[in-house]
Amino acid sequence: MCGTCGCADPANEVSMTNPETGVKTLLKNGVDHGHGHKHDHDHDDHHHEGDDVPHMHGPGGEIISLEAAVLGKNDKIAAQNRGWFQGRGVIALNIVSSPGAGKTTLLESTIRQMKDEVEITVVEGDQMTANDAERIQQAGARALQINTGAGCHLEADMIAAAARSLDPQPGSIMMIENVGNLVCPAMFDLGEKMKIAVISTTEGEDKPIKYPHMFRAVEWVVINKMDLAPHVDFDEETCRKNILQVNPGAKILCLSARTGEGMDEWCAALGALQA
Amino acid sequence: MHELGLARSIAGIAQENAKGRPLKEVRVAIGPLACVERGALEFCWGLVTESTGIAGVGLRFLDADGDTFVVRELEFMEEA
Ligand SMILES: Nc1nc2c(ncn2[C@@H]2O[C@H](COP(=O)(O)OP(=O)(O)OP(=O)(O)O)[C@@H](O)[C@H]2O)c(=O)[nH]1
Ligand SMILES: [Mg+2]
Repeated sequence: MCGTCGCADPANEVSMTNPETGVKTLLKNGVDHGHGHKHDHDHDDHHHEGDDVPHMHGPGGEIISLEAAVLGKNDKIAAQNRGWFQGRGVIALNIVSSPGAGKTTLLESTIRQMKDEVEITVVEGDQMTANDAERIQQAGARALQINTGAGCHLEADMIAAAARSLDPQPGSIMMIENVGNLVCPAMFDLGEKMKIAVISTTEGEDKPIKYPHMFRAVEWVVINKMDLAPHVDFDEETCRKNILQVNPGAKILCLSARTGEGMDEWCAALGALQA
Repeated sequence: MHELGLARSIAGIAQENAKGRPLKEVRVAIGPLACVERGALEFCWGLVTESTGIAGVGLRFLDADGDTFVVRELEFMEEA
């Protein structure tokens, strides 16, 4: 159980900050968390006639069959986001990792390297502070910061608001840096083209088998901080084997966002997504 | 993880679909890859439904495949 997650805390606020203007917008005042609260107006799963619901009578009372996805509301908004991105020819990537694996550093280096080739916009998700969005902006890309408060993951409605506000150009890449957490973000589809996990050599080779749900949900795995590998006795072969054990189809990229080693291959792979 | 939010979502779905009729039990199908901890969800269900219109309604888990995570059935009280 996620001890830090306040996603059901009615007092939790979610905000969006533009680091350029400093303008902060409240996305959630804490009353509605978006997990299918019954006072929402934009879902269509009300059954207005009771007659279309399959039902039967057991030894007790009547039983009706629902098959209603518990995360259905998030999934529906994610599907709308996916259509929005596809319609505009924007590639959205959901970057996940444990805290400090180097997501922001990787994005900074990627922006510096690809600036002249393709527009990259960034949505930063953190519980608090606009630090990461400011770093991205200094690297030369447009960014928005979402603060999830006590919440430990981004949800599709936050991305819907951020994408409309950033208004990315056709042919651009939108990087979504999720909250540093290898558990909850696996469950929440944001409408991205794919999830990419970043792990770093200092975390040990067994992260993929400790958090298999997340590593199964991603298409690519970046192994970052390769410059530190010799200092921390990182065993690349074991790490690759562990990744492929939980996700045999994963594409693995080894790099150092700090020294630039491996960055060419990563940027080429990103460039190829647009083809 | 965040089973409290999930419990709230299940309660919302149950109440919406029950349309005020008294419920006996909510049956949720959970696959092994759904990333949901049953014990935690059960605990949270009690907290979330307490002092609402569905207080005391049971929550039952049904085994399912893959990452299934759906409210499968609602059972109502026997009509008097
Ligand atoms: N040596 C080395 N350090 C790195 C590398 N990439 C990132 N770091 C350092 O790792 C620390 C964390 O990096 P961030 O980019 O902030 O990590 P993050 O994943 O964005 O962290 P959160 O957003 O807090 O989850 C910083 O001190 C970086 O300078 C790398 O390739 N090599
Ligand atoms: Mg960061």
